[in-house]
Amino acid sequence: MSVQRSSQVLASEQFARQDQLPAAVAACYEAIAIADRDPLAHVLLGHLMLAGDFYDEAIAASTQAIELDPDCAPAYLTLGLAYDRRGGMWDQSVLVWHELAEVAPDLVTAHVQLGEAFAAAAFEEESVDSWKRALELDPKEARAHYNLAIAALKREGMSTALPTFRVAGALDPSQDELFFALLGLPNDDSAIDLSFGKPERQARLISAGTLARSEDFFGATDVLRLMLDENPADADALAIAAYVYLKQEAAHEAMACALRALSFSPDLPTALYTLGVVYSRFPGLATHAARVFVALAKAAPYHSMTHVLLAESLLGLQRFGQAKRAYGAAVRLDPACVRARFGLAAVHLTEGSYAEAQWEMRRAAYYDTKRHGLFWRLYDEYVAGGAV
Amino acid sequence: MAGKKRTSSAKKAANAAASAVEPVVERAHLPVRNPDFPIGVDYYPLDEERRSPGDWYDRDIDAEFAAIAAARISHVRVYVSWRALEPQVGQYDEDAAERLETVVEAAKAHDLRLIVCFFADDRLAEMNDVPWGKRRDPRTDDYLVQRQLSLVQRIVNRYRAEPAVLAWDLANEAFIAGFTTELALEKWVATLREAIREVDPERPILLGVDSETLLRETGVDARAAIDLGERAVSHLTASYRAYIAEGPVTSGPATYTDSFLLRSSLRGLPVTVDGIGVHSLEFSPSEEAAYTRTALYSALMNRASGVSLRRWRDLEAEKREPYFRDPFEVLVGVIDTAGEPKPVLNEVRRFAAVAARMDPRRYALAPERAAVLIPAERYEPLPSLAGLYDPRACLQAYIAAKEAHVPVAIAREGDDLDGYHALFIPSAAKLSPAMWGDLATFVQGGGSVVLSYGGGDADPAVREIFGVEFLGDGGPRHTFACRVAQPGVLGDLTSFDARMQLPHYARLTGSGATVVATDATGSPLLTVNQYGQGKAVFLATPLERAIAQNDPWATPTPVRRLLRTVYGSVAMSAGAGAMLECDTPEAEIAHFLGESDDILFVLSHNAEKMTATITTPRTVATVQDVRGGAPAEVGGKVFGVPLAPNGAAALRIMFG
Repeated sequence: MSVQRSSQVLASEQFARQDQLPAAVAACYEAIAIADRDPLAHVLLGHLMLAGDFYDEAIAASTQAIELDPDCAPAYLTLGLAYDRRGGMWDQSVLVWHELAEVAPDLVTAHVQLGEAFAAAAFEEESVDSWKRALELDPKEARAHYNLAIAALKREGMSTALPTFRVAGALDPSQDELFFALLGLPNDDSAIDLSFGKPERQARLISAGTLARSEDFFGATDVLRLMLDENPADADALAIAAYVYLKQEAAHEAMACALRALSFSPDLPTALYTLGVVYSRFPGLATHAARVFVALAKAAPYHSMTHVLLAESLLGLQRFGQAKRAYGAAVRLDPACVRARFGLAAVHLTEGSYAEAQWEMRRAAYYDTKRHGLFWRLYDEYVAGGAV
Repeated sequence: MAGKKRTSSAKKAANAAASAVEPVVERAHLPVRNPDFPIGVDYYPLDEERRSPGDWYDRDIDAEFAAIAAARISHVRVYVSWRALEPQVGQYDEDAAERLETVVEAAKAHDLRLIVCFFADDRLAEMNDVPWGKRRDPRTDDYLVQRQLSLVQRIVNRYRAEPAVLAWDLANEAFIAGFTTELALEKWVATLREAIREVDPERPILLGVDSETLLRETGVDARAAIDLGERAVSHLTASYRAYIAEGPVTSGPATYTDSFLLRSSLRGLPVTVDGIGVHSLEFSPSEEAAYTRTALYSALMNRASGVSLRRWRDLEAEKREPYFRDPFEVLVGVIDTAGEPKPVLNEVRRFAAVAARMDPRRYALAPERAAVLIPAERYEPLPSLAGLYDPRACLQAYIAAKEAHVPVAIAREGDDLDGYHALFIPSAAKLSPAMWGDLATFVQGGGSVVLSYGGGDADPAVREIFGVEFLGDGGPRHTFACRVAQPGVLGDLTSFDARMQLPHYARLTGSGATVVATDATGSPLLTVNQYGQGKAVFLATPLERAIAQNDPWATPTPVRRLLRTVYGSVAMSAGAGAMLECDTPEAEIAHFLGESDDILFVLSHNAEKMTATITTPRTVATVQDVRGGAPAEVGGKVFGVPLAPNGAAALRIMFG
């Protein structure tokens, strides 16, 4: 049975979904003025305050919502996130995430957050158990992997942590997106034919890139074959071919294509990317990977991911100072880069800067949870009266 | 007598603290402390969570005060326990009174001055929890207030001629936070003040609360109550820090918050920066020391009248399974639970040696001719979000001015603007009609102003003063593009694109103003208008708020550069800029002017090593550490100041 919503709550909801914070807050206050025991108004207010990073207000509103309805799952989410983002309230945070994990046992984020709260309160074993539980629910949960890597780093050092960092990095879709950004393909998946009206070579290049992005590797190969038949020295086509091989785990072929592309165009970012990624998969070629990623970061300095790749290769070489600078560059370009945040946290830990490391992990969680947009899922389910 | 029951472990620990602090070498020509800039510490009655309220100051105070004095600390705030002193209505406990006497005697013995705080809540000693109070509110209940008056008069009467007592502090912030209205607070303060004045007409009275942090926590504006006293304090609380700068304490906005609050509190009364220190035990000793160093130097460099450390000894907390951490903000001291000094105490001693050389009769801080203006909307309660956005935006504006090395003050809407040449009004959604009038007069009279759009409708005065036609709010943006159209007009600006959320963007057309920079589509971003004798700069987006609401520790470099370049350029052309140039934005500078020499403080707000290059208008003959040592010859106008991570330098400059 769905929950009844007042017109003020509906208005607030509408404004909130459009990120119009002041109007949404005003509507919420109207809703509370009319019915101050409506948990929906309070949970919305909690969400809005959290969106504005006003944590004490978010805590107050979410607590009120839970008091009014102890089954209000979105209120647990906002309360837990407010505790975590505010910092210094780990004991309360543990209780809230524990509660939410019970109310919504399949909610992966609850287990990840519970693990982080445990870790902040120095309960290492419990934290690892929580992240493992999260991975049971979703093996592709990158933040759980990163947290496990950090836990391994704390316990046994960087060499044990690195494989887990690599696993987490491999789950990151933005790395592939970097290749297509370097290729000049726009970020969205619009159905517009980008090759329309372009010169034939350019049109084919876009077509091959688009097919590769949609993982139609055979289709992409057909187009690339046409291009390379006409011009075997087409560096751009060779770089895409290298990427296609890379995605099919044909590392040696990918390396050969990328190297050939670079022999025609030494600074070609797409070829540098592919070659660097191939090198980084072979532990013995870590130094080569770092050199290639240095070149890539110079060729494409405005992409945060190029700095992340460089930093990760430097991390593998235990060049922590240089890795820190590269991660720092990545974070300045994209503060929401979870991968860079965790990498930076790892470097801080190697330097003994625990508070700084803690901060980077908190920011990683901040951006990751913002990106998930989990609140509206829980809210809509709560309004619909269904199970979360 | 309970006061004499001293445990051997406590005595041993106190002696360890005293012995580990190097003895101060008393030399006739070298000052040890600065009476004009005292360093104090809050001395809480209990240092172990397992102790009961009845153990109030039941320890070896003499040994601890010896250690405090050895650390060059001169002022100690002690806390009266109403519960201990008046266990039954009208019946005062002689043992407790003797314990207070022991505190005073120990202070006298070690040449310390006491600030006696009457009503404090440390969330441990239950000092105001009188068993006969029947849970009535001691802030508003007439009967309990009468009992408070009796207690206060009794103590003041006993020590009115006591030179060891420096001042009477009516209450600390935790106690004041229980007031729900300005009226109740003012009434309580006025009543207690009157009672003290009946007995002691001279000794300063203060209210140990920061108006800004209290407003944030309770919604009560304590400014009028604070103004009833002779001194004021600024005080960064844990919850305020979590609100305004919740990130790392050794870099970014966190290193500016203490001085921002200090500047906000400077409204006519001398202000002590109170509660200096980290708020939780999660920081390493070196982080504690670095943060405390920053806060201490910031205070000296920003017109504080003294400083006070958060706590002498770490609180020994109970190990409560499963949670060991405690959110109390009074946990962390400068010596550990075993009485061993922490690195932070050495910082205090070093700072004291520097502060001792600062004679305010010989050196005066260069005047601030620029100010960040806090809009009146900041005092509006929810659902207005201005009260939440504005302090953060103002802090970012303050940081930008500091990064431009502009000597900057904090003013409020409605303040007299006569002393200023440049104003920065960050991201205000609205100003009062009177303020618009004042602003017009200010600019016409030769002042310069930078105003950033705060969202919503623009006041018609924007057209008149800033020379732009407002066409509406273009809404939020996900990227920040800047294209410089008029290079050199507002400093050395450069074009850039940055990934950054902008909450609003004013659609403008020039109506007399010069468009200095635009966005990627040509819409004006930055305009400058000559209005009367002055200059009015309009920024089409709430940039200060955007920096605060995005990630102030990871603001794109060109964005921060844009803001500080505009601020610096406007201040410089208005005659409110820095007297010295510095190439490092994160190096804060305070220039104290003397007759024969100047003193320059340089403070790093960065956790990395750096060298700040200073350029002076005159040739510098020598530079010397204020604490002594051989002067270094310069013979030019440029010299470098190497700074350790979060380092500070205090230099005596002789001009040639």
